[in-house]
Amino acid sequence: MESAIYLRRRAANGLALGLSVCATVLGLLFLAWILWVTLQQGIGAIDWKLFTKITAYGAEGGLANAIVGSLVMDVMALAICAPIGVAAGTFLAEYANRTKLGATIRFLNDILLSAPSIVLGLFVYVIVVLPMSKLTGGAVSFSGFAGAVALALIGLPVIVRTTDEMLQLVPGTLREAALSLGVPQWKLTVQVLMRAATSGIVTGVLLALARLAGETAPLLFTAFGNNFMTAHPFDKMESLPVAIYQYTNDPNPALHAIAWAGALLITLFVLGLSLATRLFLRRHRSPND
Amino acid sequence: MSSNPAIAVSNVDQRSRRDARRDALFRRLLKACALLVLAALLGAALSTLWGGREVLFGQGLHFLTSDAWNPVTGDYGALAPVFGTLVTSLIALLLAVPVSFGIALFLTEIAPAWLRGPVSTAIELLASIPSIIYGMWGLFVFVPFMARIEPALSDTLGRIPLLGKLFQGPPLGLGLLTAGIVLAVMVLPFICSVMREVFQTVPVRLKESAYALGSTTWEVVWDIVLPYTRSAVIGGIFLGLGRALGETMAVTFVLGNAYSITSSLLMPGTTISSSIANEFNEAVGTHRSALIALGFLLFVVTFVVLLIARLMLRRLARREGA
Amino acid sequence: MIDSLPSAIDLPPWLQAVAARAGERVLPKLAVRGLDFHYGDAHALKRIDLDIPEKQVTAIIGPSGCGKSTLLRVFNRIYAIYQGLRAEGEVLLDGENILDARYSLNRLRGQVGMVFQKPVPFPMTIFENVAWGIRHHEKLSKAGMSGRVEQALRRAALWDEVKDKLKRSALSLSGGQQQRLCIARAIALAPEVLLLDEPTSALDPIATAKIEQLIEELKGDYTLVIVTHNMQQAARVSDRTAFMYLGEMVECDATEKIFTSPAKKQTEDYITGRFG
Repeated sequence: MESAIYLRRRAANGLALGLSVCATVLGLLFLAWILWVTLQQGIGAIDWKLFTKITAYGAEGGLANAIVGSLVMDVMALAICAPIGVAAGTFLAEYANRTKLGATIRFLNDILLSAPSIVLGLFVYVIVVLPMSKLTGGAVSFSGFAGAVALALIGLPVIVRTTDEMLQLVPGTLREAALSLGVPQWKLTVQVLMRAATSGIVTGVLLALARLAGETAPLLFTAFGNNFMTAHPFDKMESLPVAIYQYTNDPNPALHAIAWAGALLITLFVLGLSLATRLFLRRHRSPND
Repeated sequence: MSSNPAIAVSNVDQRSRRDARRDALFRRLLKACALLVLAALLGAALSTLWGGREVLFGQGLHFLTSDAWNPVTGDYGALAPVFGTLVTSLIALLLAVPVSFGIALFLTEIAPAWLRGPVSTAIELLASIPSIIYGMWGLFVFVPFMARIEPALSDTLGRIPLLGKLFQGPPLGLGLLTAGIVLAVMVLPFICSVMREVFQTVPVRLKESAYALGSTTWEVVWDIVLPYTRSAVIGGIFLGLGRALGETMAVTFVLGNAYSITSSLLMPGTTISSSIANEFNEAVGTHRSALIALGFLLFVVTFVVLLIARLMLRRLARREGA
Repeated sequence: MIDSLPSAIDLPPWLQAVAARAGERVLPKLAVRGLDFHYGDAHALKRIDLDIPEKQVTAIIGPSGCGKSTLLRVFNRIYAIYQGLRAEGEVLLDGENILDARYSLNRLRGQVGMVFQKPVPFPMTIFENVAWGIRHHEKLSKAGMSGRVEQALRRAALWDEVKDKLKRSALSLSGGQQQRLCIARAIALAPEVLLLDEPTSALDPIATAKIEQLIEELKGDYTLVIVTHNMQQAARVSDRTAFMYLGEMVECDATEKIFTSPAKKQTEDYITGRFG
C-alpha cells in the first residue's frame, strides 16, 4: 500500500519534470527555428546592392534608403526619449521614491512599457501627422519626425525604468557624503549619482534602442515610407521594418529575398544589442536580485 | 578666513538661497518629464477617442455589436476584429502558459546551475526578436508547415463531437490557430520570465521544510511554490495577454484578413491591430475614423488587462517587502 | 559655601575681566541643550545636554541603538534629507542655534564636516573628489585649487601616497586610503568641527591605526566628535567621552575619568563589559 503511493508520487514527479524539460526544448526549438531560417534566407540575399541601391528599383534595388531612414529615425527617437526618460527616471528615484505621485507614475510607466505599439502610432498620427498637415496645408504630413516621436514613445518607458532602477542601486551613503559638503541636491544628482549610475543608464538607452529599432506598426502611419533616399526629418521616410513589411506582402519572390536580407540585418542588430545589454545588466544587478 | 564675518555669513546665505532656487527649478524640470509618461498614456487614450469620435459617438452601440465591415456602405462594426483578437490571444495563452510554466520550472528547480544562465538568456532572446521577423517566419515557414499538419488535425480532433467544429475547414495554413501559435511563441518569454523571477522569491526555508518532509520536486512546486506566488503568476499571465492583444505584425501576415466570425480555428480572421495595419493608409473619412475607434477599443482593453497584471504582480512584491 | 562667595559685582574690575575671559574659554564650541529627536513615533533622543569643547576630541560611546549616531547626524542636520525626522531643542555652534531654519545649510555644512562609517569616494578622480566640494563654496584659480587640494591631502596624511596618481579614479584606492580621502575632502572646506561616524569600523587594524594617528594630529586645528562602538578606540583618541544609553545622555566627562571611575553605575557596567 505504502509503496503504491510512493510509486505513484514518483511517477507524477517524473512525468512533470519530463514535461518541463520538453517545454524548455520546445521553446529553444522555436528560437533556433526562427533564427536559423532568418540566417539561412538572409545570408544568401545579402550583397552590395543591398547597401547601395534604393527601394525604388524594386527587385533590382536594395535597402539603402530604408537603412538610412531607420538610422535617422532611431537616432532622432533616442535624442527625444533619452533625456526625457533619464530625467523622469531620476525624478522617480531621487525625488518621488516614496511618494504617491512617484508610485503612480512608476506604475503607469510599467503599463506604457507593454502598451500596444500600434495604438502609440495612432496617437502620434493624431497629435503630430494631422496637425502638421493642417499647418502646412498638406505639404508635410507623414514624416520621419513623426516616426521618431512614435518610436520615442516606445523607448521612453524602458529608459525611465532602467534609470530609476539604476539610481536606486546607488548607495545612500553617497548622497549623505555629498550633501554633508553643503552641495545642493541638483549638483549631487547630476555630478555624483548620475555619474555613479552612468553605465546602467547607458545600458537602459541601448536597451531602448534595441526595442524601438525593430518596431514596424507605429511607423506605418507616421513615417509612412518612401522609395527614395532622404534624411530630411520632414519628408516621408522609409525604414527597414516597413520595407520588410511591404516586400513580404508582395507576391514577387525576388522581393522576399531582399526582405529576408533586411530581416537578418535587423535581427543581428537587435539581438546583438539586447544580448550585450542583458549580460551587462545581469552582471550588475546580481547582488540585489 | 574672511576679514568681516558678517559679510561672509551674508554671502553664504545668499548662496544658500540661490541653491534652493536652482534645486526647485531642477526638481520641477524632472517632474515635468516624469509627468510626460502620464501624458503619453492619457494622450493615447484621448487622441484615439477623438480620432474615432465620428464612429464611436455616431454609431454608438452598433459599432460594438455589429459584425459588418463595409467601407462601401460606410457600415462599420467591431465584432469581427474583436472576436479575432480575443480568440487568437486565448489560443496563445492556452499554449504559452503551460509551456512557460514548464520552462520556469526547469530553470528554477531542475536545470543544473551552469545551464540556467544560457537557457534563460535564450528564452529572453525570443522576446527581443522584432515582431516583423515573427511575421515573416510565420508567413513563409510556419504557414506552409501548418498547411501540412491541418488535414491531420481535421481528421483526428475534427471528429470529436462539439470540439471537432473548431478544427474543420480547408487546410489553408493561414487562420486563427496559426496566428494563435505564433502569438504563443511571442508572449512565452514574457510569461516565463515573470514566473521564473517570482519562483525565485519563494523563501528557501519554505522549500527546504517541504523537502524535509519527503516531498518530491513536483509536489514542492505545485503545493508550495505555486500557491505562494499565485497572484504574481496570474499577473504574469495577464502581462502576456496584454502583449498578445496588442501584437500587430506577427499576426497580420498569418491571419488571412477576413472579416468573419467562424467556429473553426482553421479559418482566416482578423484582429483589431491587423485591421488597422492593413487598411489605415488606404482608408479615408469614416473608414479611417472606424479604424482609430478600433484603436481606442484596443487601448482600453489592453490598459485594463495590464492594470490587472501590474496590480497582481505588486501584491507579491508588497508581501515580500513586509 | 557657594552662597557666601561674593557676586561678580563685588569683584574688582581686573578680576571681573579675568572671570569673563575664563567664561569665554569655558563656553563650548558646540553646546547641546535639551535636544529631543523623533523618528516618526519613535523617541530616539531624550532631552540631551552636552558640551563639546573646542579643539578637543569628544568620543560618544554606547551600545548600538543608543542614539549616538543620531546625535552626530543632528550636528550637521544631515538627518533633514529624510522625511519624518525632527529635532527639537537647541544645538549651539559658537552660540548660534543651528537647528534654526534661518541657519543656512551651506553655512552649517561649510563649518561642520562629516566622515562616514564606510568610505564613500565619489565616482571621480582623486583630485576631483577633494576639489568638487571646494568648488561649490569658493571660486579659486587653477593654481589656487591645486594648492588647496594638496594642502588637504597633506593634512589627511594621504599626499605622499597619491601625489603621482591624482588623475586616477578614487575607487582604485584601498579602503584606508579612501577613508583618508574622505577626511581630506571634509577638511578641504576648512570646517571648524569634524564629525566622525565610526570612521574605522570598515577598516583593517593597520588602516585604523593610521586614522587614529590622524585624529590625534587634527585635533590641534579642529573640534572633533567621534562616534565609536569600540571603547578602546574612545580611550585611545579622545579627551572627553560621553556615554549614551537608550536615547539618553548618561554621563560625559574627561575620558580618563569615565574609564577609571565613572559616576554612574550604567557607565561602569558598559565599560567593564557587564552589559547585555
